Amino acid sequence: MKTLALRIALLCSVAVLTACGSDTPTSAVDNSTTRGTLVENPPFRIASVDAMTLAAELGASASGTQLLQVTGAPACGVDFNYMHYYTVNASPTGDVPASASAALMIPTGAAPACSGPRPILLYAHGTQTDKAANLADITDPNNSEGALIAAMFAAQGYIVVAPNYVGYDTSDGTFHPYLNADAQSKDMIDALTAARKALGKVLASTTTDNGQLFISGYSQGGYVAMATHKALQAAGMTVTASAPMSGPYALEAFGDAVFFGKVNLGSTIFTPLLTTSYQKSYGNIYSATSDIFEDAYSASIEGLLPSTTPIDTLISTGKLPQLQLFNSTTPVTGNATLDALLAEPSDPNDPRTPLFRLGFGTMNLVKNSFRVAYVADAAGQPDGALLPQPTFQLATAPTNTLRLAFKQNDLRSWIPQVPVLMCGGGNDPVVFFPVNTITISYWWEAQGVPVARTAVAIPTSLVTVLDLEAGLGAGDPFALAEGGFATAKGAIYQAAYDSTVAAGGDAAAADQAGQFAVVQSYHTTVAPFCSAAARGFFSQFLGG
Amino acid sequence: MNNRNMITAGVALAVLSAGASAWAAGNMANNEVRVGAYIVMYDAKADDLTGPYVPPGVNVDVKNVTTPYFAYLRRLSPHFVAQLAAGVPPKTETVGKGPATLGSVPFNGQVVSTAKWFSPSILVNYVFRDEDAALRPYLGAGVNYTRFYDLKSTAAGDAANGGPTAIKLSSSTGPVFTAGLRWHIKDNWSAYASYDVAKVNSDYVGDTAGVIRKTHIKFNPSTLVLSVGYAF
Repeated sequence: MKTLALRIALLCSVAVLTACGSDTPTSAVDNSTTRGTLVENPPFRIASVDAMTLAAELGASASGTQLLQVTGAPACGVDFNYMHYYTVNASPTGDVPASASAALMIPTGAAPACSGPRPILLYAHGTQTDKAANLADITDPNNSEGALIAAMFAAQGYIVVAPNYVGYDTSDGTFHPYLNADAQSKDMIDALTAARKALGKVLASTTTDNGQLFISGYSQGGYVAMATHKALQAAGMTVTASAPMSGPYALEAFGDAVFFGKVNLGSTIFTPLLTTSYQKSYGNIYSATSDIFEDAYSASIEGLLPSTTPIDTLISTGKLPQLQLFNSTTPVTGNATLDALLAEPSDPNDPRTPLFRLGFGTMNLVKNSFRVAYVADAAGQPDGALLPQPTFQLATAPTNTLRLAFKQNDLRSWIPQVPVLMCGGGNDPVVFFPVNTITISYWWEAQGVPVARTAVAIPTSLVTVLDLEAGLGAGDPFALAEGGFATAKGAIYQAAYDSTVAAGGDAAAADQAGQFAVVQSYHTTVAPFCSAAARGFFSQFLGG
Repeated sequence: MNNRNMITAGVALAVLSAGASAWAAGNMANNEVRVGAYIVMYDAKADDLTGPYVPPGVNVDVKNVTTPYFAYLRRLSPHFVAQLAAGVPPKTETVGKGPATLGSVPFNGQVVSTAKWFSPSILVNYVFRDEDAALRPYLGAGVNYTRFYDLKSTAAGDAANGGPTAIKLSSSTGPVFTAGLRWHIKDNWSAYASYDVAKVNSDYVGDTAGVIRKTHIKFNPSTLVLSVGYAF
């Protein structure tokens, strides 16, 4: 030992010119590819801002100012760390290792709520078409969801772990396992494992894990948040509470509703993400993409999303139709029941009819032949949520492989053991609230889970259902969020109304423009208000 | 030059004096050693740092240093002298130049990294006037080689970079020029003052958790050398 040390010393003194290992090292690198491996530790910190700077930077833009009105002024600074970790991706022959990246936002500052042992919020983001999206990159002006969770949670004392998902950013995953409950929950859990390894190692941080785990997410992420809660519970790991928001929890019922003609906004983006995910996961969705997609799209559709090309460009260059999921010349099978289900929606008394009809046209994405096959299966093996007398049960034995994948990933497959808040907007045109949130809440109720639909029922319930449109009645603890949402909708309506009038439109045209603007931005408008409700919901468990 | 370096230089001089041989009149000594102070002034010009998550205008500057100087000279002819010169490798401090803060992390003016360099030069000097003149001005030109080592990112540098950072600075080879004056004090002893300029260009690479940032730095050092020479 002594000899070796002496030799090293001699080498160093002789070779003054060489570094002799005295240069400062960069982070330690773990070359393992096992689940939960944190690659660089400490991870790279993209930015470090104190509470005042965060407030000033957010306050510099109109959207940031609006966000701060919902979140409140930052109480803590935030360190934006950028982790690389290992998880798995699905394949027909089983899980394969995949690298992925995530944001690890750490509250900083002297205040007791900003340092020392703090709770972790595991957050799942919404559908993202940009393959390069990185929630940790707060310097990217397009990273609005990163700014939202930073201001809502990290700046209020939550350690936020927010994966970018396999298939995004630097991930070597060959596809994104969109709405694959098993794969996406593993990704979330592995990011959490990796993040816990980074805590205490990251730069200038005295913030540590207090053992409390909250889970939330929006839209796709609402689904992923619930799937993650389910997986953690099954694994016997601690979950304090969860608040999935505006998610497609009842995938089978939602898929059936869409194929029955209730086409949601964004369907031409969600459909290829789903078919690619399930095809690559299970290998049985199609033998060729042309089994499902029109020839105009089928050649490039499988690897299309997520993309480094902006979604608007993909649409303008004809890779995807903007809204038209189905052919407006709907198929005629000769079976009256089927033909009625396949017909373009025309109910004049349903205010959603114009929205649904936007999903029909001659530039349609999905072939009539596939639609007929799906609808026939859905009619013969109905989802209980869509029956005239709903049972909320899954279909017994579907045979359409896409529908089978929906059933396999439908979250009417677990019962929570810790409190859950499901928030959303009742009129959401992107992820329908009734067929998803209401459906799973009734299914849970049928399994004996106490569900609160009013404020008075909350204390005795495990699950709370919050529709920002309707509220929870007397004593509603989320009234502020609901009021804020109503105000935001009103402002969107008024802005479109006023600009139509300014452009010479009459009151009727202005009203229509206002309503359309609300529908168009509804899904994203809900997000900060449900997030505020989620934070309020979580706050009752803090430090417990 | 700090006190400790002065003492080091003084000790070196004393050692040389003890072993001194006589200055043989009319028989010019062919060798000379010089010891003194090496005052290095940088006029560093770097490109703005490039790489992921670097805001515009992030740059670096280099602080001036003073270090003990030593040189060996070999007389080639009455007017030509070959000179091998170097300083005791000093620690050079690189400071952030640009925004006052990156996020909330102080940047401008912060010492972000330190490096030592070993920077020998070999020159040929033309010395004016007769060899027995008390004052002899000279001009020289040669080659400088600079190698950086012991590169360290400081805590402030790590904070600005976003994590522990490994730094590399490529070695440089470039021309060096000198203009100086020799004053023959007595016997074997002379005093020297010279002003040197050298071209020292280096590629900087910082690696922070796999995130690579780069720039090219022109150090543009000019040095004032004050030294005492002993001929033998």
